[in-house]
Amino acid sequence: MSSLRNALIDGIKQLTSRPIYVLGMIVVPMFVAFFFLDFMDEGLPLKAPTAIVDLDNSSASRNVTRNLSASELVSLDYRPTSYDEAMKLLKSGDIFGFFMIPRNFQADAAAGRETTITYYCNMAYFVPGTLSFKSFKQTAVTSSGGIAKVTLVSAGLNEDLVGTMLQPVTTQEHPIGNPWTNYSIYLSNSFVPCLLQLIIFQFTAFSILQEIKRGSSVQWINDAGGSVVVACAGKLIPQFVIFSVVGFAIQSMLYGYWGFPVNGSIWGMIVAMLLLVASSQAFALLISSLIPNLRFALSILSLLGILSFSLAGFSFPVEDMYPPIGAFAYIIPVRYYFLIYVNTALNGYELYYVRWEYIAMLLFLLTPFTMLWKLKRSSLHPVYIP
Amino acid sequence: MSSIVNNIKNWWRTLFRTWINEYRLVFSDLGVLLFFLALPIAYPVTYTLIYNPELVEKVPMAIVDNSRTSESRELSRMIDADQYTEVRGYAADLGEAKRWMKERKVYGILVIPEDYAKKIGRKEQAVLPLYCDMSLLLRYRSVLFAMTDIQLQLGADIRTNTINNSPAALVSSAMGNTVDTESFFLGDVTQGFASFIMIGLVILILQQSLILGILMLGGGSRERRRKNHGVDTEIIKGPISASLLGEALCYVTIYMPLTVYILHYVPLMFSLPHYGEAVDYLLFMLPMLFASVFMGQMLRPLVVERESSFLVFVFTSVIFLFLSGITWPRYAMSPVWYVLGSLVPATWGMQGFIGINSNDATLGEVATPYLMLWVLTVAYYFLAIVITRMSNSYDLRHYKVPSVP
Repeated sequence: MSSLRNALIDGIKQLTSRPIYVLGMIVVPMFVAFFFLDFMDEGLPLKAPTAIVDLDNSSASRNVTRNLSASELVSLDYRPTSYDEAMKLLKSGDIFGFFMIPRNFQADAAAGRETTITYYCNMAYFVPGTLSFKSFKQTAVTSSGGIAKVTLVSAGLNEDLVGTMLQPVTTQEHPIGNPWTNYSIYLSNSFVPCLLQLIIFQFTAFSILQEIKRGSSVQWINDAGGSVVVACAGKLIPQFVIFSVVGFAIQSMLYGYWGFPVNGSIWGMIVAMLLLVASSQAFALLISSLIPNLRFALSILSLLGILSFSLAGFSFPVEDMYPPIGAFAYIIPVRYYFLIYVNTALNGYELYYVRWEYIAMLLFLLTPFTMLWKLKRSSLHPVYIP
Repeated sequence: MSSIVNNIKNWWRTLFRTWINEYRLVFSDLGVLLFFLALPIAYPVTYTLIYNPELVEKVPMAIVDNSRTSESRELSRMIDADQYTEVRGYAADLGEAKRWMKERKVYGILVIPEDYAKKIGRKEQAVLPLYCDMSLLLRYRSVLFAMTDIQLQLGADIRTNTINNSPAALVSSAMGNTVDTESFFLGDVTQGFASFIMIGLVILILQQSLILGILMLGGGSRERRRKNHGVDTEIIKGPISASLLGEALCYVTIYMPLTVYILHYVPLMFSLPHYGEAVDYLLFMLPMLFASVFMGQMLRPLVVERESSFLVFVFTSVIFLFLSGITWPRYAMSPVWYVLGSLVPATWGMQGFIGINSNDATLGEVATPYLMLWVLTVAYYFLAIVITRMSNSYDLRHYKVPSVP
């Protein structure tokens, strides 16, 4: 027992020996959490800069322009006089899309001649491109519908009938959990825990393999009574406490201060956070034991930590990735945290449906024990390769 | 007079000797080579492979068909046949469908009400409740796209029938659909995810790998100073302004072939959008590389040992990605974040490269980001000189006794 106490004291001493531990383990994750939440505080990026090319300049075209300016998603900042001019604005990134009303629009529409409203969206910027598309499409369809309605009614059709005729079937959407399509709810809830995972990966490897780099690892193992398990526990238990507190602080920012939805069990989320911290530590310990070289282990863990943002399927679904690549999602701890979050906090489903995710995270905790012998061997014969 | 000439000579000598010496330091350092070569070569390929399926297709849906008519079956068939959705199963009621949702078997539920066929027959509007899983916006977007298309298609079919059966049939042919609407997607015509994200991401990969390598080299130098009373014996002595520029020339020349590979061959390999003139984007990248190098040199004092470069800098990739405006647009940022984003070379780099590569702009049309990159280059060069000078004298004062970080 006294060897564990010694190891713990050593572990805590290490954390206070250099400012990088406090800065990296506490300040950085808290700052990043604040960054994400403040950055996307609006929820949706409104008022995308766009342009309208009105070649008709009639009362009808001005009516369309007015409708478009009323939309909160776009802001008609420019009135270029030609397609070329509008295209130039789009290429230089001043606008993200433009709407074109053709010459003789009003006259053609009234006379029943074919005329086409066109709109262009820059999908190289996905979010403003999609949002301007949404707003343009709505305006285009309503304008076209409005004109069709006038024509049909004047042709003698009943007005109510015309209304349903234009849209006989309509869907009534129920977006579960995030009816505002708030980007921050969607991104902060996955990206901030994933960043915490990256930091846990790095600091776990850094604090342990530092001993081998400096050649102090023999002493480190001996202080722990020759047990590599006790030696690692001495380092990882204090770090677990710190990271868990940071994790709870992040959760209280998300669900408390910023009021993101918690439709299910908050205890489920708290346990998931504890498991995220522990399983990330276990994963990093496994890699550090497999590759007991500080720089190499950090390279691998940083690589995996950064790739996790993509592989865990926060934006692009794992199911749609190529199967051999999507398979990697299953070795990433934060993937399971994310699935628990979606089912529990976002959708409010029962914990029963994420039982396997909890078990998977628990299994991570066992993996390092298969490889600790290797860490011990390298610790007793430390070699530093720069 | 001769001292001025000597100074100038010495400046140039330092520049060239540092330039050559830096190659030796880089190519004898496996850790730095991993950042400078392996990362820019492997990362773009890895990332593109992750996102290469581009579209979220065939999102599984559950149908709760309470109507059980030929009209409702027609609707289900349309959903199953759509590019973006497929019918995973027919649930007996909403409860069963919701259970499938909880088990992640389906990501959307469409309820077809009992009176669906009746309403269409009566020419009343039929309302279909649609439940969507919101965990991934791309999936939600696919479901919405499919449903909008189906709605419009059904609308057109029903309309044609109605008009043909009504006394107004005569006018319908004259009227047609007078006002057509047509949409064009630019930059990423297929709206694929890889085609969107990769174009920006590759620029960030260039900047981050370059800075990480410089920080690791800096950490190594710092470790040598610690052991050696504040002096690094591996580097060429001389004016700092010359040695920083010499180092920069070394890194930029290493990165030139990589830039061609990343900006030209990677888009070709994965058939990502690739317009624009090679001259334009290669010229554009020149200040981008220099600005990144000087930014790296400026940040060097943050790193006291080789390996802490990971801890100090890797996490910034996520922040820089968001600050660049590729996901959350710059016009919607608060002033503080907007200014912070303007200080990152990759922000302007992405803006300009997306313009040239995806939207076929010329160098002249992306003049703003191009000029901003030159401004950053000059500013960071002078800041790097000042900071390096301060850091060197700090090391001389503090590392009198050999120590470890």
